Amino acid sequence: MNFDLSPEQQLLSDSVERFISDQYPLDQRQLTVLSEQGFSSEHWQTMAELGWLGASIPEQYQGFGGTQADTMVLMEQLGKGLVLEPFFASAVLAASALKYGGNEAQQSQWLPQIADGSKQLSLAYAEQQGRFDLHDVLTRAEAGDQGFVLNGRKSMVLHAASADALIVSARTAGAQTEKSGIELFVVDTQADGITIHDFPTVDGLRAAEIEFTNVVVATENKLACPDGGFSVLNRVAIDGILALAAEAVGAMEVLYKDTVAYTQEREQFDRPLSDFQVLQHRMVDMFMEYEQCKSMLYRATLEVVQQGDAAQRTVHALKYLIGKNGIFIGENAVQLHGGMGMTEELRVAHYFKRLLVIDAQFGNHDYHLAQFAG
Amino acid sequence: MDIDLNSDDQHFQKSVRQFLSDNSYVAGSDYNEWRLNWFRLARDQGGWDVPKWPEKFGGPGWTPTQHYIWEQETARAQTPWDLPFGLSMLAPVLMNYGSEEQQQRFLPDIRDRKVNWCQGYSEPNAGSDLANLKTKAELSADGSHYVVNGTKIWTTLAHIADWIFCLTRTDDSGKKQDGITFLLIPMKQAGIEVKPIITLGGAHSVNMVHLTDVKVPVENRVGEEGKAWTYAKGLLAHERTGLAGISRSLVALEKLRKQAGSVTRGNGSLLDDPSYRLKVAELEVELMATEFTELRSLASAAAGAEPGPESSILKLKGTEIQQRLQKLTVEAGGIYSAAWGATPVGHTFAHGGMSGYLASRAYTIYGGASEVQRDVIAKNVLGLKK
Repeated sequence: MNFDLSPEQQLLSDSVERFISDQYPLDQRQLTVLSEQGFSSEHWQTMAELGWLGASIPEQYQGFGGTQADTMVLMEQLGKGLVLEPFFASAVLAASALKYGGNEAQQSQWLPQIADGSKQLSLAYAEQQGRFDLHDVLTRAEAGDQGFVLNGRKSMVLHAASADALIVSARTAGAQTEKSGIELFVVDTQADGITIHDFPTVDGLRAAEIEFTNVVVATENKLACPDGGFSVLNRVAIDGILALAAEAVGAMEVLYKDTVAYTQEREQFDRPLSDFQVLQHRMVDMFMEYEQCKSMLYRATLEVVQQGDAAQRTVHALKYLIGKNGIFIGENAVQLHGGMGMTEELRVAHYFKRLLVIDAQFGNHDYHLAQFAG
Repeated sequence: MDIDLNSDDQHFQKSVRQFLSDNSYVAGSDYNEWRLNWFRLARDQGGWDVPKWPEKFGGPGWTPTQHYIWEQETARAQTPWDLPFGLSMLAPVLMNYGSEEQQQRFLPDIRDRKVNWCQGYSEPNAGSDLANLKTKAELSADGSHYVVNGTKIWTTLAHIADWIFCLTRTDDSGKKQDGITFLLIPMKQAGIEVKPIITLGGAHSVNMVHLTDVKVPVENRVGEEGKAWTYAKGLLAHERTGLAGISRSLVALEKLRKQAGSVTRGNGSLLDDPSYRLKVAELEVELMATEFTELRSLASAAAGAEPGPESSILKLKGTEIQQRLQKLTVEAGGIYSAAWGATPVGHTFAHGGMSGYLASRAYTIYGGASEVQRDVIAKNVLGLKK
């Protein structure tokens, strides 16, 4: 039993940390947010060159063959930097979908390109009526002469406007909420019949609503998914939740430490705010909830590495806890920063907004508590 | 990173399980005989009767992981009742600060569960602010004994104790942390009066202890005069493992699920009630997280490192969890939790549920109230000034 990082993981962690502190000052980030693409191509290239994009991709596809524990190390550090690049969408979600659902041809076509950053992918799984249920799918894929024809609408697709291709869940059979009958398709974003409505999200990232009107997808672009698309989607969601949770833990650490530092500097009533016991105890609670999230992150990640989706229940517990505690820490960081916490100028506001978005992604805390309770 | 037990630990776990199942209590047999015999057999295993004692004093010299395994296994097995006062509170002080003569005089009886001790720390005006204690110990002119006068409060099991270990004041001229002296005093003597305090759960376990002109020979002083604050604080640092009571809470959670599952509600049980079920779920998540916080703390202790910041939260989280378990038991009992007589009414588990819950309110008060624990974390972990 040990919770130390391996030497390789420590190197990875240090290298991401260095990148964040050297390349990711907040003012620069905020300028990038306003750019057309919403992230920096230069940083994207760096992430490819340093091997981060291929961290979880098998070695035979030019990746590093890491586990969810390696992704955790990466995401925790990225969370401290509030990165804008579509690492999560492409190197976590799309890469996992291909790893779990793709056949050899599909993997060798896409995974090396995800690893070297030459292609950026995303996952289009959500639909408005489905709220957080991955299996609530109305988008249909009808088999035709040239392959499949997709019709429907996907929601809140991360970085879709800049993506080269999307992995889309659609029904070839079954009723709206059936778990069977769902398949996954790799769809070129330039294909005829796709309309992408791009918009910013509150955390400075980008997402899109996407309409598919008679979009033709070649048969070889239906992911093999021998156990059906839903089971792949579910495993992708597990990896996604672990990655988001790691990012959230990184963000929470920044928030509680910034708050501790700020209250020691800021004086009111002729003494530092940190002298007030009521504020001290609030910060202790923020610290404790952060530590609990970190413990649960380790637990869920190590269990998934060992047991795969048999550890699903612990993943529900994790998503519930980081959603709830992330908001608690974010709200209190703003509260203890007072008026300054309400401004765009300080970074606490930005971490808070990121945590709010993370709570809602792949199911919020209420949803996962209910799933956990069974 | 990994969460597996290594093969040594697996082997240890197996032998603990074997021992516990070989020596469980047989219904109808003499409990007391079984109890003392259990401790003797545990001793023969190599100090399992005193898991936390160092090897030098006959303890097993376990690694932190082995301690964790022991906690886990004993939480699920039937083990004889035991009291912490002599074994876990006084013994470490004697081992670290007592004379060899004191060690030889007191430790064997503690180990054999022959002598009961109680702890004389808190006073009416020294609770969370323990250093404010006033019980006075004056050295006689010839230097042969102290004369002790004062009042101790919340003294658990003082009414059955043979001895009390006491923090007393020998000097009030300096800082209040200075001038405190550690004395060992026999309970059964004139000048010591024990008055029961009945707590809100109806139980008599704590007492007020009045000491009036009690003569204590100087050889019953542990360590140097005036230095006992350091000894008492050093003791807290010893309580590294088992603080959060996680293993016991996990067992209690299983029991709670069974109890709530036995309460009918419409066509189903109380566990089908979404609001109750979600409360149990929230508690389980908190327990799962705390379990890993404890493992993280153990892993760093096993690696020989100082306890990390995560270990500071164990007492707080662990006691809150225990209280929530008690509270959900009372909720599950519904109106039957109100029945207060000797005979169970309604759900059998409801009998004793309320008194357990009421008693549990003390968990976040004793051993440093939760608010004091937060002060300590603010100061020592977050680096905030008092």
